[in-house]
Amino acid sequence: MSTKKSPLNRLRRSLGLETQNEWPSVARERLLAYGLLAAYVLIIWFPIYYIFITSIKPSSEVLSLPITFLPQNPTAQNYVDIFTNRPFDSYTFNSMIVATTTTLICITLGTVTGYSFSRFDFMGNKSLLLSIVGARMIPPIALIVPFFQIMSNPPLIGGFTGSLYDTRITLILTYTFFNLPFAVWIMKNYFDGIPESLDEQARIDGCSRWEGFVKIILPMAKPGIAATAILAFIFSWNEFVFALVLTSSEQAQTLPIAVSLFVADDFVDWAHLAAGGMIAALPGILFGLFFQQYIVSGLTQGAVKE
Amino acid sequence: MSIEKSPLRRKLDKLFVPLTVGPTLLWIAAIIVYPTAKLLFSSLQFRNPITNEMEFVGLRNFRRLIFAREGSEAALGVFNPSFVSITTNTVIYVGFSVSISFLLGLGIALLLDKDLKGRGWFRTAVIVPWILPYVMSGLMWRWMFQSDFGAINGALQRLGIISGNIPFLSDGALAMMALIIADVWVFTPFIIIILLAGLQNVPEQLYDAAEVDGASRWSRFWNVTYPFLKPSILVALTIRIIFDIRALDLVWVMTQGGPGKSTEVWASWLYRTAQVFNEPGSGAALGVVLLAVTFAIVASLYKIFGESPYEA
Repeated sequence: MSTKKSPLNRLRRSLGLETQNEWPSVARERLLAYGLLAAYVLIIWFPIYYIFITSIKPSSEVLSLPITFLPQNPTAQNYVDIFTNRPFDSYTFNSMIVATTTTLICITLGTVTGYSFSRFDFMGNKSLLLSIVGARMIPPIALIVPFFQIMSNPPLIGGFTGSLYDTRITLILTYTFFNLPFAVWIMKNYFDGIPESLDEQARIDGCSRWEGFVKIILPMAKPGIAATAILAFIFSWNEFVFALVLTSSEQAQTLPIAVSLFVADDFVDWAHLAAGGMIAALPGILFGLFFQQYIVSGLTQGAVKE
Repeated sequence: MSIEKSPLRRKLDKLFVPLTVGPTLLWIAAIIVYPTAKLLFSSLQFRNPITNEMEFVGLRNFRRLIFAREGSEAALGVFNPSFVSITTNTVIYVGFSVSISFLLGLGIALLLDKDLKGRGWFRTAVIVPWILPYVMSGLMWRWMFQSDFGAINGALQRLGIISGNIPFLSDGALAMMALIIADVWVFTPFIIIILLAGLQNVPEQLYDAAEVDGASRWSRFWNVTYPFLKPSILVALTIRIIFDIRALDLVWVMTQGGPGKSTEVWASWLYRTAQVFNEPGSGAALGVVLLAVTFAIVASLYKIFGESPYEA
């Protein structure tokens, strides 16, 4: 119990916020915490609720007054429309391919490279790691001009001619730029947490470096790989600006672009936009609800080193 | 004990580091170093509108960007009014968004750090806004702020707070406020996650000790929690500020920098210059400025918090 006579304490005592008996005040504090958290959650989920109910309202109800906060005639028509009148199947397919391939590249390269940075003291490894992580600090939007130029007129490698503009390959290449440095960083920190004695044990048992890595260390790193994979997938799935600049047709455009296409110059098709938005938001909502702890551990391992 | 290794295996083992690090380095060089070099090069060029050729113009793109129009009386020393107003907008946008979401995130993180039942459930519910596509979030908020059929006007009217509709997105100051609200909505979860991780590093005994000593709640936060939380605060603020300066998604889909130029920020200006106006040189110059500002901010934040960037 507080004995200090700070002004803050006196104020709290005079407001009756502190009692001699500890338990009631703890209970009250908990109740307050629950109340505040519940209010916060309700407020931040309201927009998601509103876009959802918009997506199941008929277009006529979306633009009628007064606004309904409970849909009067719920319908799945908007969802049917976007897949029949618009190529949402292509957009979804593009999003899947781009996000999955980027994720595979990032976890493959990120894992092996992260492991080497964690275990070996090779020439310039510290500054190499620094420059890889530093590369992540380059504002992507600053590179929008050179990326556009390079993808429209790629440098000749192996007699390749033609443009990468408006292809899924372009997006995959671009998104590894966002995610690979991050993957190396997370995996390096994850491997740092796996004791090196396990590597030595594997070596004594006759494993080569590769066998030891694949058979002993890799299985232990699964949670780290899962965290990296989920984050890389979400970042690639959600990316908008580079997709906007580097694609122009349904052969490469992804869901975020598809959603933005509902905005015409002076008219927005809100009912269908909401349906498209829900499709684009689905992985985020599902990952958030089911893999929250992986996302959190991945972020904190990548960002906060302990 | 140890099984004799074949020469091939020994050779492969020797190549472990080059084979695991090499491909990543090549990849990163190709997708980052090359474009960055090209950015620096492009920023020194200008597209001739008549011949459509790129011409080398030295630092003239930077001068056009930052200072008043060339040829005018005071070409140097007088700032380009667009540059000043867009920089002001960027500072307002980033300043308000980051500080509001930081304070809100800190509060929620402290609440979530308490030993509450259903804490995991709350944490799950809190994280979702951050994982949705920013475009979808931006459009969602644009729909919420819509003047005739938007939920915010609807709710305020139903509650009897306002009688007419407020045109949130067609008034400059209100549009900026709407952007900040959307930004805070999207990025507060990130602050919460990072700070929550930091809070887990505070040793429980120190809280108990502080309580026994009768430290006030404020002094407990300042003397016990804050020192352990400092690295996380640093990371959260750095990433948040950097991201806000360069993020285009929300601004572009909500206001496109309008009405007028009232919500134009560096990111949307860069996009407009480079894409819409087809001036790659100027866009690249602005990109270089953005790059420099980013590194300056990171360096100064680490200086303020007295940490070296990569050894927390």
